[in-house]
Amino acid sequence: MDAKLVNPFIDAFMAVMPQIGFPTPKRKKLYLQDKNIIGKGVIVMVGFTKQMRGNVVYNMQEETAKFIASTMMMGMPVAEFDAMAQSAISELSNMLSANAATNLTQMDLEVDISTPNLTIGEGFSLKISEDQYLTVEMDLGGHDLDIAIAVDRNG
Amino acid sequence: MFVEKVKVMIVDDSKVSRTILANHLSKTNFEVVAMAKDAADAVQLYKEHNPDIVTMDMNLPDADGIECSRRIRQMDAEAKIVMISAMKDANLVAQGQAVGIGAFLQKPVSTNEIIETLMRLCTEKVNQTARFRDSYARIFEQAFKNGILNILGLKTDVTLEVYDKKFLAVDGIAVIIGLTGTPSGRAIFYMSKDTMKVFAEKMLGVGDVSDDEANDAVEEAANIVMGRGVSDVNNAFKDKEMRITPPGTICGNGIKVASPKLLTFKLTAKTDFGDICVNVGFAEGD
Repeated sequence: MDAKLVNPFIDAFMAVMPQIGFPTPKRKKLYLQDKNIIGKGVIVMVGFTKQMRGNVVYNMQEETAKFIASTMMMGMPVAEFDAMAQSAISELSNMLSANAATNLTQMDLEVDISTPNLTIGEGFSLKISEDQYLTVEMDLGGHDLDIAIAVDRNG
Repeated sequence: MFVEKVKVMIVDDSKVSRTILANHLSKTNFEVVAMAKDAADAVQLYKEHNPDIVTMDMNLPDADGIECSRRIRQMDAEAKIVMISAMKDANLVAQGQAVGIGAFLQKPVSTNEIIETLMRLCTEKVNQTARFRDSYARIFEQAFKNGILNILGLKTDVTLEVYDKKFLAVDGIAVIIGLTGTPSGRAIFYMSKDTMKVFAEKMLGVGDVSDDEANDAVEEAANIVMGRGVSDVNNAFKDKEMRITPPGTICGNGIKVASPKLLTFKLTAKTDFGDICVNVGFAEGD
């Protein structure tokens, strides 16, 4: 895949997270991967079509998902990963993907995004690409979140 | 009145009140699926029955109706609640609106009054469900049926139902394909691991396929069925430009797929080697 397509996603993460209560998100590692993703607890997948096709996956532990949901809701305690917390994580994925889509238009790529798909469970495998894809490990105040990016220009 | 039954949960500490309300609703298309006598009961029964609408009394033994509504809305931000109580004043209405109560009625209520209010709160969802089903889900149903015939050479009946559980439970394989355009959404093509093996053998026309080959076969079948469904939608509605995203394929056990804010439908094809299912969901706007 074209490595240039990764930046719009990292930029979106760096721009959106401070707005929802995470002042200093950090990029830890970036590497190529060709094996299936293993679910850490909560996975959100968003699909892209039009001039760029593929999937972007946000993979985190359930504890991290609860921590993010709680922070997004102004520190409201989130004991269980319940409907409201799921809705918050889903909304976050939507914001990140929509923001990335806006960044992509600046590279003259018009894209459409699917609704976020949230999967809960540990240790399941998720295949998002036939080829290699990039994984970016992000740090959010001591919590890890992986973004797997498997996208390519269409045609 | 409605094509779908609308599921109602009654929350009231008085057995008399519960019975009167249930009687009001018994001759309508509203179906009382649960009756709770206190807030703890209400939260538990809401989880179990996932009703379309809740009628809420103000006075409950363990919490008031406002607090009980808040707990329900915390589980389900879209929950529709109508308060039916003996008292009704501006202060109560303001507090109730703050926790998301959609309407307020004062006891005693007439059958007409209660039905009108419940209908008003539900119409939006019922109309949307009917429209999504008739415009889009039916097309996917046909594409699924044809797909099974063409891919496996198997004639099957496919059933279509509104799927209103919070989660889709998956044990085996689930191929998730996003839908972009209007409406956006996603389709999940799923089956058990045993069913997958036979599915792949029939599709590839060989015996003894490996797990990877079986995964690829199911993924390809999902692509074919959803691709066909989307192009049929686009052909049926000339202004539509729906597209499918590349698939994401999940394998494992005890997996739960949630799709907040989507209205979803379950399509089931029964075969002698197990059920092949599709769950397709849509959302309006972005």
